[in-house]
Amino acid sequence: MAKKKGSILKIFIIFAIIEIALVIISGSFNKQLQIGFNNGKFVFKHIKSHYDLQEKITEEFQIDEHFRKTGETPEIYGSNQVYEFFKEIFGEASAVGTFQLLRMMLIVDLLLLFIALIIKKQLLKRPSQPQILFEMVYSALEQFVIETLGKEKLNFTPYIVTLFLFIWISNMIGMIPIPGFMEPTRNLNVPLGLGILAVAIVHITALKVKGVWGHLQNYLNPIKNPLALLDIISEFSKVVSISFRLFGNVLGGAIIITVVSSLVSYVVFPVGLNLFFGMFVGTIQAFVFTMLALTYIGVEISE
Amino acid sequence: MELTLAQGIVKAAALLGAGMCMGMGALGPGVGEGFVAGKACEGIARSPENASLITRTMLVGQAVSESTGIYSLVIALLLIFST
Repeated sequence: MAKKKGSILKIFIIFAIIEIALVIISGSFNKQLQIGFNNGKFVFKHIKSHYDLQEKITEEFQIDEHFRKTGETPEIYGSNQVYEFFKEIFGEASAVGTFQLLRMMLIVDLLLLFIALIIKKQLLKRPSQPQILFEMVYSALEQFVIETLGKEKLNFTPYIVTLFLFIWISNMIGMIPIPGFMEPTRNLNVPLGLGILAVAIVHITALKVKGVWGHLQNYLNPIKNPLALLDIISEFSKVVSISFRLFGNVLGGAIIITVVSSLVSYVVFPVGLNLFFGMFVGTIQAFVFTMLALTYIGVEISE
Repeated sequence: MELTLAQGIVKAAALLGAGMCMGMGALGPGVGEGFVAGKACEGIARSPENASLITRTMLVGQAVSESTGIYSLVIALLLIFST
């Protein structure tokens, strides 16, 4: 017992020393310390924090608005030619946000491809550890597909697993403390695209299963379905509800983390908030998005 | 930046509206999530062998019923940042 107590005390002392060192390093309160990677270089310097919280939030969440207000030139990541290309198409202001979003989505896609390649490379009878993990995820989602759609509709499993992994990695990637890293789902365009894709897949499936007239008479034939107009509106509200739920959860969590980090002057990284809003809410929302897409397909097929 | 009187009134009204929107919008999801959790407790007490299934269904149901609160959060953010 005494030994255990001593080790706990040692850990506590180490943490206290680290925290005191961080406070000393971070300097006076109107400056802030930047540690991390920026533009390919390791950064460790004090910068004067010259803006208030609202400007900080605007810089984080509406990048193009921030650059339009302040008139600064944005930092360019990667190739200059690509930036000029986007600037010609989308205009000066929106090029920044669009380009950053595309970069994050590309990173998520590369991660997915990388994971798939690693798993595919060593498919063994006696599975390795990452293989066990991903087989667990796959078989759990496959079980949901069997419960909702039945055994003969197993070909939906790859779509469902890809949707879940994409949204989950997107939500997780915001926790990496590198400047410029943000969740792709924080921008409304990404959840909206995913929602439109999900509802489009629902209708394509219904057209395949029930035939063209068999599906369209639900919306066009007033004798078969007297509330056809309401059904058409509810299809659009499906897209809105499924995408705004994901977007609002991720954006709300990110704003709360930014506000709390600003309250402690960027000295302490709010680990508990990152655990709750990053991991817990991110996982739950990815799961809910996947389940709702699956349920929409199941409702259309089973009629 | 300098605000004129009209801009100041609009800004103040938008901030007030955002606060009221968030406060009222959080009422419904709070009641709903508490109700779902209570019912899930009853279900687990009645059949403890189904606890994992009930917990999973409860979390999904709470996340869905939370969405009205999330909509009010989105509207509050729009009111704060876009006026």
